[in-house]
Amino acid sequence: MSLGPVYRLHGEHKLQKPALIVAWLEDASSLGVRTVDYLIEGLGCREFGEILPEGFFPMAGVNVVDDVAQFPESKFYVSDESNLVIFRSNIPRTGWHGFLNAVLDVAGHDCSVSEIYTLGAMISPAAHTLPRLLISIVNQKEMKEELEPFNVMTGTDYETPPGQKPTLSSYLIWLAKQRMIRGVNLWVPVPYYLVSIDDPTACKRLVYFFNSKFDLGVDFTKLDMRVAEQNDKIAGLFQRSPELEAFVRRLEAGDGLDGEESEKLAREMSEALK
Amino acid sequence: MAIKYIKEPELVDPVMIASWPGIGNVGMIAVDVLRRVMRAEMMAYIEPQDFFYPSRVIIRSGELVELGFPSSEFYFARNERHDLIFFVGEEQPAEGGGVYATGSKAYAMANLVLDVAQKCGCKRVYTSGAAVTPMHHTARSRVWAVPNCAELLPEFKKYDNAVLMSDVEGRGGEGSITGLNGLLLGIARRRGLEAVCVMGEIPIYLQGFPFPYPKGSKSVLEVLAAALGMWIDMERIDLMAQDSENELTGLYNKLPPEIKERLDRLKHTTVAAPESMEAITDDDKRKILDDVDKFFRREGGGEQR
Repeated sequence: MSLGPVYRLHGEHKLQKPALIVAWLEDASSLGVRTVDYLIEGLGCREFGEILPEGFFPMAGVNVVDDVAQFPESKFYVSDESNLVIFRSNIPRTGWHGFLNAVLDVAGHDCSVSEIYTLGAMISPAAHTLPRLLISIVNQKEMKEELEPFNVMTGTDYETPPGQKPTLSSYLIWLAKQRMIRGVNLWVPVPYYLVSIDDPTACKRLVYFFNSKFDLGVDFTKLDMRVAEQNDKIAGLFQRSPELEAFVRRLEAGDGLDGEESEKLAREMSEALK
Repeated sequence: MAIKYIKEPELVDPVMIASWPGIGNVGMIAVDVLRRVMRAEMMAYIEPQDFFYPSRVIIRSGELVELGFPSSEFYFARNERHDLIFFVGEEQPAEGGGVYATGSKAYAMANLVLDVAQKCGCKRVYTSGAAVTPMHHTARSRVWAVPNCAELLPEFKKYDNAVLMSDVEGRGGEGSITGLNGLLLGIARRRGLEAVCVMGEIPIYLQGFPFPYPKGSKSVLEVLAAALGMWIDMERIDLMAQDSENELTGLYNKLPPEIKERLDRLKHTTVAAPESMEAITDDDKRKILDDVDKFFRREGGGEQR
């Protein structure tokens, strides 16, 4: 573990008790990151700081993805006008407690954040044609009432099954609660056959929520184009393969597919939508 | 990284017994049974956040009401000759996703455990685990005892069913103890504290599966009872051992005859059954492991229990 500073901030801000949105790069359908990237671009957010990787990520070379060497990133962005902070990060591989406390130090100490929203996708057996739900887990009961007007589901019961671990997002809002910072995990179920691709409809659901909640004035044009483009591609695929359309209709009706059918749907969707 | 004390009892000539999960949970079960039989009371715990990722979350009606971490708890019990301190760790603090403790966190955890031992006046610490052996599950498990100083060797030689590394076939007194069971011995030695790891034997063909092996734990308890000069009520562990043997025998009877034949040869391989007629070779051991592995995977034996 480094004995130096854990995070570094650039410049000043004019934020006043802003909200913090947290997205992890390792997420089904890259939902969280695609959502915050849309907000960062659309709201003209600027880079504000970063958590340094040492002590949280293995410094043992780099991974190469799509021909490009990668390196862990944990960056803060701010929009003074929208009074918003965004944290976009890889999931740390170790030192989680220290890492999340660094996020909360920046949020609480440096930005006086009033509430935290984490984003994530849940893998769902539902069809892409059905509306995307938005499910919340709060760290303070009072927040549920504030979320309900935005058509957010607030009644989930869950316990970690044996052999599984809680999400980092749960850990973050748990630590936030200890600092009296309000926190919400937002989850959108994403059709399993879009998990390795993009689910712009799920992304739109999240952007729509933040736009409504914080009156951001987001321009949805580009997102609507992504949704339309994906729908066109899927329509084309169904024309070529009525069997796949039948699979999706069965999912719409709540009937499951067998292993082979599920695999075929996921594989062919992935090829068609790349 | 801190120890939180709930009680600080005055203990008489205490001995610490520490355990973590491991192969067959041999050590963990032994220590847990003894702790319960002795009706030990919790006295302290190690704050988990710097060592572990959370292990469970409870969400009720959309509210995160609990986030739990693997526990690392100390208990104490009064006893005639030596009061006892139990340390029970739910997980080993591993860096890099392994099961056994490694790295700076493991070193820190071992030091915290020994801090408590020394603060309470312990002169000796026991750790407990499993020794993977080419034995059959119907045989009695021996207990490999590894002390951290040569002066303790004669003591452990005299206990029934305990063996030193040099007594174990083909080892020549050498071997290794992974994770905190081993690390604690080394750090205790640096601190001038006596420490002994007692490891109950577990059949080689069970090492890769999440089956508890209370027969090994029972042997550990017997050696601990001798070393501590105390009587331990074995009713609970006897029941566990019997249930486990019945379950294993049920699985064993489902094995194809050729695999069973190979495993049957293990009945004659250890000092526990010295009338060896036909020793198994290294090649046999490899075949046994391959066969059993394939069989249990086909049967879904890899499922967590």
